[in-house]
Amino acid sequence: MTRDQLKDYIGSKYASLMTPLDTGRFDPMFEVKADRLFEVSRALRDDENLKLDFLCNMHATDTRENFEIVYSIASITTKLRLDFKIVMPYQNAEIDSVQEVWPAANWYEREMWELFGINVKNHGNLKRFLLPDDWNQGHPMRKDWDAPDFVRMPEIQ
Amino acid sequence: MGLIKKLPYYSEKIPGGAIVLTSLEATLQFAQAKSLWYLLFGTACCAIELMCTGASRYDFDRLGMIFRASPRQSDLILAAGTITKKMAPRLRRLYDQMAEPRYVIAMGGCTVKGGPFYYDSYAVEKGIDHIVPVDIYIPGCPPRPESLMEGCLHLSEKIRRQKLSDWQEK
Repeated sequence: MTRDQLKDYIGSKYASLMTPLDTGRFDPMFEVKADRLFEVSRALRDDENLKLDFLCNMHATDTRENFEIVYSIASITTKLRLDFKIVMPYQNAEIDSVQEVWPAANWYEREMWELFGINVKNHGNLKRFLLPDDWNQGHPMRKDWDAPDFVRMPEIQ
Repeated sequence: MGLIKKLPYYSEKIPGGAIVLTSLEATLQFAQAKSLWYLLFGTACCAIELMCTGASRYDFDRLGMIFRASPRQSDLILAAGTITKKMAPRLRRLYDQMAEPRYVIAMGGCTVKGGPFYYDSYAVEKGIDHIVPVDIYIPGCPPRPESLMEGCLHLSEKIRRQKLSDWQEK
């Protein structure tokens, strides 16, 4: 299956769940509603034609209005790749854990929870991960984060 | 008598040899300054330059600098590389385990003032002098082996000038 065929296949089969986005990236990108995340993940992994069984990467972005969480997934057998993202409001951000689908998500979700303060439902092991053990200064990857010894890069004219 | 000539001394010949009198301070300083064993503490790219300095081209050993893997055998901690806030307590702990007199060299911009991570970083300690007392700062990103060796020679000089009472109080 080529890239365009993959887009068409998703468009015909998962049109209600995934909205294609034109991002100019090499891998096709889709948007998924946050409450359908687990459903979509499991469908993509179990689809006989896709077999997207490998979570390559998962990252969150703070856009100052929303959090965008991008899942990059691929398949070992069919060699397909695709990305999908969920956009969620800044306040009380919460996602479902996709560990049951891709166990690799465990550490990504922990990192996201720690650095962005995005709560992960059904994770089971949300504890201090990368920051120092006695850290009490909040979520440093948020754009509005600040601390007494944090020096922001001055504006370059 | 080659070594003795570098120290303040008094000698008197006696039948069958000589008696030499010198000060304990000078002897200790001489011994310390000429054999600084350093604790390997390479946490980032400065460690590559440190390895280069230790290898045959620059030959650190000829200054009496021999690396040790244990703080209990070291006189000097050569902090080579970025110290994150998570690493800082470990650095302090290793420093505390060293026997006195002990010295610290801050190698590279990161250990001096946070280096390239000074701005926009939540994770990097902005200067290891917040954690341990530093004797010599070597700027550079990373410093060339020549700079590192000059820093070590400066430390030797510093030790030669030190009084015994100085490090008893430290």
